[in-house]
Amino acid sequence: MAEFAFTLAAAPTLGGADIAPGGNRIAERDDLALVSVAIPLGGDRALAAALRKGWGLAVPGPRLSAVSDRARAIRTAPDQIMLVFARSGPDANATVQAALAGAGYTTDQTDAWVALEVSGPDTPAALERLCPLDLQPDAFPEGAAARTVMEHMGAMILRLGADRFLLLSASSSARSFLHAVETSYRHVMR
Amino acid sequence: MSQPNRIEGGLIDRGRRIDFRWNGRRLTGHPGDTLASALLANGIRLVGRSFKYHRPRGIFSAGSEEPNALVQLREGAAREPNTRATTAELFDGLVATSQNHRGPLEWDLMAANDLLSPFLSAGFYYKTFMWPRAFWERLYEPVIRASAGLGRLSGQPDPDAYDHGFLHCDLLIIGAGPAGLAAALAAGRAGARVILADEDFRPGGRLGAETYEVAGRPGADWAVAAAAELAGLANVRVMARTTVYGAYDHGIYGALERRTDHLADSGGKPRQVLWRVYSKRALLTAGATERSIAFGNNDRPGVMLAGAVRAYVNRFGVAPGRKVAVFTNNDDGLRTANDLRARGVEVTRVIDARAGDVVVDTRGRKGLHTVFLNNERHVEADCLAVSGGWSPNVHLTCHHRGRPEWREDIAGFVPGGGLPPGLSVAGAANGTMTLGAALREGHETAAALARDLGAAGAAGAAPEARDEPFAASAFFHVAETRRRAWVDLQNDVTAKDVRQSHREGFRAVEHLKRYTTLGMATDQGKTANMLGLAIMAEASGKTIPETGTTIYRPPYTPVAIGAFAGRARGRDFRPFRLTPSHDWAKENGADFVETGLWLRAQWFRRPGERGWRDSVDREVEMTRASVGICDVTTLGKIDIQGRDAAEFLNRVYANAFLKLAVGKVRYGLMLREDGVAYDDGTTARLGETHFVMTTTTANAVTVFRNLEFARQCLWPDLDVHLISTTDGWAQFAVAGPNSRALLQRVVDDLDLSNAAFRFMACTACTVFGGTPARLFRISFSGELAYEIAVPARYGDAMIRGLMAAGEAFGAVPYGTEALGVMRIEKGHAAGNELNGQTTAAMLGLGAMVSKKKDAIGSKLSERPEMTREDDLRLVGFRPVDRSVILTAGAHFLTAGDPADMAHDQGWMTSVAWSPGLGHSVGLGFLRRGQDRIGETVRAYSPVRNQDVLVEVCRPHHVDPEGVRQRG
Repeated sequence: MAEFAFTLAAAPTLGGADIAPGGNRIAERDDLALVSVAIPLGGDRALAAALRKGWGLAVPGPRLSAVSDRARAIRTAPDQIMLVFARSGPDANATVQAALAGAGYTTDQTDAWVALEVSGPDTPAALERLCPLDLQPDAFPEGAAARTVMEHMGAMILRLGADRFLLLSASSSARSFLHAVETSYRHVMR
Repeated sequence: MSQPNRIEGGLIDRGRRIDFRWNGRRLTGHPGDTLASALLANGIRLVGRSFKYHRPRGIFSAGSEEPNALVQLREGAAREPNTRATTAELFDGLVATSQNHRGPLEWDLMAANDLLSPFLSAGFYYKTFMWPRAFWERLYEPVIRASAGLGRLSGQPDPDAYDHGFLHCDLLIIGAGPAGLAAALAAGRAGARVILADEDFRPGGRLGAETYEVAGRPGADWAVAAAAELAGLANVRVMARTTVYGAYDHGIYGALERRTDHLADSGGKPRQVLWRVYSKRALLTAGATERSIAFGNNDRPGVMLAGAVRAYVNRFGVAPGRKVAVFTNNDDGLRTANDLRARGVEVTRVIDARAGDVVVDTRGRKGLHTVFLNNERHVEADCLAVSGGWSPNVHLTCHHRGRPEWREDIAGFVPGGGLPPGLSVAGAANGTMTLGAALREGHETAAALARDLGAAGAAGAAPEARDEPFAASAFFHVAETRRRAWVDLQNDVTAKDVRQSHREGFRAVEHLKRYTTLGMATDQGKTANMLGLAIMAEASGKTIPETGTTIYRPPYTPVAIGAFAGRARGRDFRPFRLTPSHDWAKENGADFVETGLWLRAQWFRRPGERGWRDSVDREVEMTRASVGICDVTTLGKIDIQGRDAAEFLNRVYANAFLKLAVGKVRYGLMLREDGVAYDDGTTARLGETHFVMTTTTANAVTVFRNLEFARQCLWPDLDVHLISTTDGWAQFAVAGPNSRALLQRVVDDLDLSNAAFRFMACTACTVFGGTPARLFRISFSGELAYEIAVPARYGDAMIRGLMAAGEAFGAVPYGTEALGVMRIEKGHAAGNELNGQTTAAMLGLGAMVSKKKDAIGSKLSERPEMTREDDLRLVGFRPVDRSVILTAGAHFLTAGDPADMAHDQGWMTSVAWSPGLGHSVGLGFLRRGQDRIGETVRAYSPVRNQDVLVEVCRPHHVDPEGVRQRG
């Protein structure tokens, strides 16, 4: 144990922001752990098997995610998957490593990102002002996920429902990101 | 008396009255009016002064092609100059003023320019203001700028908000006139995703202005019904008040939507939205623009396009005059006369050029009263409706440099080749000038496009309408007129100017445009270009197609700079990146500096300190004496994993990395392909297949991008994977003789003694009772130093914990300035030295470039010019007179040499005040520097007026043997 007694408390990136512009909601999801899994060269099959065994997940295709009762997997690059699951402690990486048993290279990404869940009737209109992707339900159905840029910030977007999305962006610019998302809602809400 | 020229009919809401102000006068109008129609209803014909000659000008058109009626809207900071009265929708409380005059509009003092017109013709400025040269900037230009020009900006920040947005569709239809509506109905019914955009606030285009019938009902009613049907289709988006202003690559179009310009109060919502529209196909149904005829004094208030006269009468219920004459070269003239008579407006004469009758001159200083014909007769008229034929709106078809083609039968240019890929054209924009044909073409083109796009539904039948008589003649100007005949009303270009341009050798259309400024005003010559071309063709004895056209470029109509900026203004200009200790730093007196997007603490102000130097000196002294803590989260961190990760690093760093042991850190230097050094940093080996690379803050993205390129494109056979972890870890440098003692109190059960955890060691560990962390023993300051990282969510708590644990040692936080001072004292290169021109040899790191392996840039770094012994070398400097403060940027000269570039010996890259040494210290590049240690040279800075003698020394001003960092 450290000689000096001090309680190191974790703080959500945006202090657990939860705001309601109009009848909509923008909420920080600090209960989610993010772990990236790189697929070793030639190790696609082994990883797919480990992912199914350890997490009950299939390897998602491009712009898609796969979901099980324990986690969601988003395809982020040809050789990379992002696992998203509920966990608050700093041990997410170890959990994934144990489950994959060496079938993938893992990196804890929980603290590198801020996650905002946005929902409400003005959400499609607000995202038109923010997200360059075509989010029309046929083009971007529930479960679709993609990397993009919003207001100059790298971002990931995942559709959770008709008017419900998970937005991920860099944690260092989280305040600017929240401001951009909130401004989009304020610009369109009735 | 209110609205004396308001007549029966029109598509306005007479049940509601709108109050507005024009040049201070209270006037009224109705919903559905534009500012122009309301002014005409109130009998106001004079609305502005011309650009150059300050001639009285009135309303010329009824649309976005308006060259004359440019006004200022709103007041105070919200004032917007150069707005077309013909497109400004009237709202309650609108305040509008005329522009470009001194004194009242009716008695403009600058109108004297008109008397000087013989001297102000084309090329006047080019010829006149050449001499003396110095007068241009100081005298001529300010005077010309003050007298010419249009409206005035408020000079205050724009109080309105603007936004950007992104739209996607199968088919973008540009223009909601008859062809556009028919097209949208066809594609929409078939099931395609359609966006229909129109600049007007009312759908239908010319249908609102004419008395045509469509599908057995008045055209204007049909347009409203069509728009209503479209609004009911979930796959169709109708966007009114939206101008598609440009065609860009890959089916992307720019569109400006005016969201609140027609409202008295925006309610805090963005005034305008600039949309980027991604389309699979696009259909241009932008209609056509009527043009004038050049005859003597054809610019008086009251001279108006015939189609505009019909629009005011039919759509707005306004008589633009009480005695109207018509001058035409086509069948539109008769239609105008009929429409006017049907509303009880007197038509004094129809002058048809095809019958040999032409207008040669007009009278009426502030408003037309008499029209003179070629046969010595004259006609009384307070309004002259002129129709010189219609020019298809081909503008967007030219945005990829396509050139329009001449069609003799309509005497106009139609879309030629080179259209933006995916763009089709239908209706009048395509030269299909009659209603029935335009409806059919719009319908059929869109139905075919929808089928191509896989929309399988039934497009239905094309709406039926008769084809009105249409016969155009190529008659553009009245040759026998002796008075000035205006071609470009907005830039005051006359037929004489065009002929003069030809005489003086500016005969190519592009030269004509630049020499006379024809078509270069805010209307881009929508009503003027054809006339200018025709007169030039006549002067040169060529045909119009031989003469050619100038090119159209975006935007179709002016777009406010605010709309292009969108939200990106003020503090929202770009995002900010904050370190995890940002809030703590703010609480503790930090001054922040922008480094890229990051805000970093540059020093921490303490009570009693008189300036930044006091703070920085204290931070350096305390760190070197005991211990200091600095947030270094901003350094790029890249997680590198894979079986071949070590091999990969060995190929991207100039120095060897293959044999770096697990638990060790190594300093690495990266070269560009051309052998120039571009980034440095440390890389730690955390496991057999796991490394963490750090980069400089500035180059974090560049390095990551280059590594991805190398991994994916150069060596796809290597098993190596990258992901950025910059934001994931809060990282703090803990430096100074007491850093070990401090950290020993923080980390859990880890022996930090020199024997157990040596210089350049690294390990994963835990801190404060179990929180995961990483510890690196590296030093940028030259002191005994470490860097400790915790997951970012603990960053705020960690800085508080470190400071609390360090209290016993008098630990201080230090900022980027103290960091800079200590690295200069230690002789470490940073951004000033790694400036993209320096080689490893110049940095004194030549030996690091391994000869035993191949790495990016290593071969080219061996080029003779890169390894010259007499090249610049990084060395240290101190002033001979220790009391002198050195300045960065000074150039070195050998004592006795003249101060010129031929004798330049290098330059001072970085300087700092060393509080420990008590004098200025510097780093710099000096020719053959390695052989000149101990020499004295001049540091010469004419910019800062400094010329001092400095002593050349080794770059390491402090602890050159490195005892401290290894102790």
